[in-house]
This record gives sequence, C-alpha cells and structure tokens, in this order.
Amino acid sequence: MLDTLCINISNRLNTGILILDNDFNIIMWNRFLEVHANKKDNQVTGKSVFTVFPELPQKWFERKLSSVIQLKTQSFCGWEQRHHLFELSHSRPITTDSHFMAQNCTFLPVEVEGEVERICILIEDVTDVCHYQTQLNKALHELALSNRIDGLTQAFNRRHWEECLAKEFSRARRHNHELALVMLDLDQFKLLNDNFGHQGGDKVLVDTAKSINDLLRLGDIFGRYGGEEFAVILPSTDLVGAEEVAERIRQTIAKSTVDYQGRSISVTVSIGVAIIDEQDSRYEDLIRNADLALYRAKAMGRNRVCLAEETLDKKTIVA
Amino acid sequence: MSTNVLICDDSNLARKQVFRSLPESLSTDVQLAKNGEEALDILRSQSIDILFLDLTMPVIDGLGVLQALKDENIALAVFVISADVQPEMQNRVMDLGAKAFLRKPVQLDILNENLRTHGFL
Amino acid sequence: MNAFDLTEDQQDCLQELINVAMGQASDQLARYLDTFVYLKVPSIEQVKSEHLIDTLNQDLKETAVVSQGFFGYEGIRGEALLIYQPQDSNRLADLLGYEADELTFDEQIIDLSSILTTTFLNVFASQIDNQMSYSAPRLLSANLGTVSEHLQQQSFNWDLALKVRISYQVTDYSFNCDMVLLIPEQAIINIKTVIDRILEEF
Repeated sequence: MLDTLCINISNRLNTGILILDNDFNIIMWNRFLEVHANKKDNQVTGKSVFTVFPELPQKWFERKLSSVIQLKTQSFCGWEQRHHLFELSHSRPITTDSHFMAQNCTFLPVEVEGEVERICILIEDVTDVCHYQTQLNKALHELALSNRIDGLTQAFNRRHWEECLAKEFSRARRHNHELALVMLDLDQFKLLNDNFGHQGGDKVLVDTAKSINDLLRLGDIFGRYGGEEFAVILPSTDLVGAEEVAERIRQTIAKSTVDYQGRSISVTVSIGVAIIDEQDSRYEDLIRNADLALYRAKAMGRNRVCLAEETLDKKTIVA
Repeated sequence: MSTNVLICDDSNLARKQVFRSLPESLSTDVQLAKNGEEALDILRSQSIDILFLDLTMPVIDGLGVLQALKDENIALAVFVISADVQPEMQNRVMDLGAKAFLRKPVQLDILNENLRTHGFL
Repeated sequence: MNAFDLTEDQQDCLQELINVAMGQASDQLARYLDTFVYLKVPSIEQVKSEHLIDTLNQDLKETAVVSQGFFGYEGIRGEALLIYQPQDSNRLADLLGYEADELTFDEQIIDLSSILTTTFLNVFASQIDNQMSYSAPRLLSANLGTVSEHLQQQSFNWDLALKVRISYQVTDYSFNCDMVLLIPEQAIINIKTVIDRILEEF
C-alpha cells in the first residue's frame, strides 16, 4: 500500500530519480526521467548508465560515485560548474536558448546494514534559474562595461583609462618592455563650440574619436582624457612607431571634415608623444612628459606632433 | 586482589567514558591523569596494571608515554584509545608495545572483549 | 549568562565530540585519497556574529570560500563555511584523483569542501544519535569583500559562529583550511541540550 503510494508520488515529482547499483547499472528511474530522456522503462532497466546516457563523462562519473560509496556521504554537481550531466529535454525550449535541461544533481548513498548498496541520483531541472542568472550576469557585465566607457565618444573614460595605464606601466617595467603614450587635443575647440554650438562640438568629438579608433591596433588603449583631450596607450611600441601613429592620426584628422547640419567643419589636433623612460618611476611621469610635449605642439602653432624632451634627447643621441 | 588502572586523557568526558565502561566484575582501583607527564609520574612511582591512553594530549602525548615506558622498561598493559584512527597511527602504536588500539568513542563491549583477550576478566 | 556561554564541562564535551569526528573523518579521507592525513587537534573558538568578519580578516586576504547548509533532527542546523588560501589549491584535482582537465578549479574546491564538511558532520551527528542532511555546496567568492557581504546578509540569522580551525596535511600535498560553522541561537540551545544529556549519561 505504502509502496504504491510512494511510486505514485515519485512519478509525479518534477525531479528526476535514478537509482544505480554499485556497478553503475540502472535499477530504476521515475517518470520524470522517462519523459525527459524519451526512453522506455524496459530500454533502461538493468542496463549500464553509460549505455543509456553515453554523454556522461565516464571517468569523472565513476570517481564521483566512488566517493559516495567509500565515504558514505552525499555528493553534488551544480549547473554553475557543469550545465548538465544528462542530456534531457526541458519544459522551456522556446523561451530559453539552452538546448538541454540545466541540472543540479545530488548523489545519495543508500545504505543497507552499514554498507552502500545503491546510489540514488536526484536530478533537478534548474533551466529557469540558469536562464535568469545568465541574463543577470549579462546585465552586470554591461553595467561594468558602461562604467568604463565614455557615453559620448565610446572611448574608455578617464578613470578606467588611467587604471589601464597603471597596469601597462608596471607590466612594461617588470618585463622591460617598451611603452608609448600619445596625448592629443583638438585645436581651438572653444572657438568651434562658439561657432557651431555645443551640439556641433559634440559631433566633432564623436567623429574624431571614431577616426582615431579606426587607426589603432587591437592592443592599443584609447581613452577620453578630458573635455577635448584624448589619449592612447601603445604597449610594446618604440618612439619611431609611436611617432608614426601620432603623425597618421594628425594627418587623417586634418584631411577629413565633420558634417554638421549641412555644414562641414574642419578640425586639427596637436599631439604630444612620450615613451617610458628609466627615470619615470610612476605612470604619472609618463603622462606629464606627453602633456608637456602636447603644450609645446600648441605653442609652436598647433596641428603638429611633438616628442617629449627627454625622449627627444635620446633620439638625438641614437641618431 | 584489585587491578590498578590509570586513565590518561586530557578530556574530562573521555576519562569518564572509559571509567563508566569498565566492567563491574573487574575489581579496580582507578586513578586519572590529564596528560602524559602526569601519567608518567604515577607510572614511575606506583605499580599499575592497565593504562588507558589517549594519543593527542598537551605536554607529553600518547606516543611520548609509550616511548618512555619502553625506554624505562616499565611493563604493563597499555590500551590506546584514540580519535586518530588511521592505520598508520595504529601500526606505530602497536610497534611501541601497546596491547590494543581502540577507537573513540570507546564502546563498552569492545573494551570488555579486549580486557578478556588479555586476561583481565 | 547568555544562551551560548558553555560551562567548562560542556566545552570539554564539545571539543571531544569534534576531535572524534575529525579523527574518523580524516581516516575516511585518508582511505579515500589513499594517503596519510596528518592530524592536528582542531582548535575551537566561539565567535559572536559581529566579530566573525574581524577574526577572518586577520587571517585572510585572497580566499576561496565554499558554503554548505546542514540540518539534522532536534533542531540542529547551521551553515558550514570552508575557507581556503588560494595557493593551497593548485593541485587539488590531482589529490582528488581526477585528471587535471576533467574539472575546473571551482569544481575541485567545491568537491573537496563537500567531502570535508559532510564526512566531519556525519560522524559528529552519529555520536549524538543524529543524522544530517545537506544543501548543495556553493562557491561564494574568491575575495573577502563578497564573503563579508554574505556574512552580513546572514547575520540576522545566526548569533554564534563556531570557528573550527582544521589543518589538513596530506603526504605530498599540504593545504590548510578553516572550517567555520555558523549556528543560529536556537540551534545552539538545542546542541547544549544534547551535550547535557551526554554529560548526564556519564
């Protein structure tokens, strides 16, 4: 009577119940598994679990179960570590993008007179949990990204860009690598704002940022340093390489125009270049050197590239 | 004639557990020690028949007591009662001359059986 | 006297129960891992909820923490936290008998934690004629900030932490971990009842 009741209930549970003997043969399972594995009872009873579910990682599975048998204690396998063990269909095939049911599995020892004779595996459908958690992680990832990005120009914001520079700086120091820094400022931006309004100025910033970004390599790190000031970190780049990049940026921007409400705006940039120096003990020194070069470029009439003084000395010596 | 018993364990509960597990048919005179040093003081000055000895204790531990008994040729029956029940530890204890190794918490029937095996009952 | 002050006898009894549980758990572990486990007497410390984070802070900078709930009869329940130093865990897969590429670091540490927690608490429970069930173990985080957050979220729920410091040393491997048992007040009262019953028997 009680047995019938138990079987009745176990067949209505929304949890899979799979019972194995110590040689991994299937003793029984409940309706949940029969339905989701889409196999008949008589196709599985007495068969090895590895025959019925060939997708199981056999060595891993055997070791896992041996801990349950030997230690007489339960063991777990969660979806966060393994999305699923058994390839089962689930009840949300349309509204989620996962093909198989995400599972939390519990392995229970079934003891008879002090010895483990059976292993009971409980399989819970956590496709919903998995789906929402994945969406949440995606949202958190986007949030973290938006924390690093300047909303207007899509370049990195200053805080994140400086964190990157600090990392690149200490990495270059540690491995004795080269590192170059390019700082650039739009020429006479205030005037441009007065003539075309702030929206015109914004359009110039957006287009300029895009032009610069298109010229960079994968590992270069591009950020908006201030109002109309941008900066590029060039890892593993020497002075010649950095000067080339800077010159290419200057020419590209000088040649192109920005379209704004039917008018075309011409802009130029002044650029300062510095490379990591033995005397620079902090990354701020590198910024200062590049910044000084940038101001020199401004003072010398704008729309030009200047190298930092220390860097220049070295170049002269080498030449 | 009564049997002189010494129970050495740093835990009050464990000492009581052993004490309460001693069979009534064994007429005993029981003393207690809280660590290996206290036990050795008693063993050096008095004649003791049975020592129930814990292993993990402060000051001098159970292995230290066994070693001292061996070095000083003090002969008596030592039953080790320990929480550390790994085979390697059991071997070390038996090599140092213990009569038996009993796992904690001590079971009445197993204690009796060992006392019988070694002729105290 | 507040609910969780233990008398000397109660403290002694609890320590003995824990020593025995540790001993048998290590034995099982040694057989399972096919190696010898060097055993130190676990130190037991009671920590009030508001001080726990401080005591952990002293010990830990970067950590991995795995949490697992446990519950048995007579209202004995709580949450076990296993706290690792990251450098200890490089070769866990090897120790556990898996191929290195068979499982991720997260999985290794969760697997080991589950074994340590359940073997220990199973023996502890059997000594007091109890039986434990467990929730699935979860990796909380690899940094203390998140652990503090977790503890703060939980703090309304428990009042005393039993900090059981266990150091496992295994031939060829060495790792230390702290096991911290967080126990709510009602469960502490229940444990004391069980301890008093054991003390009465002897």
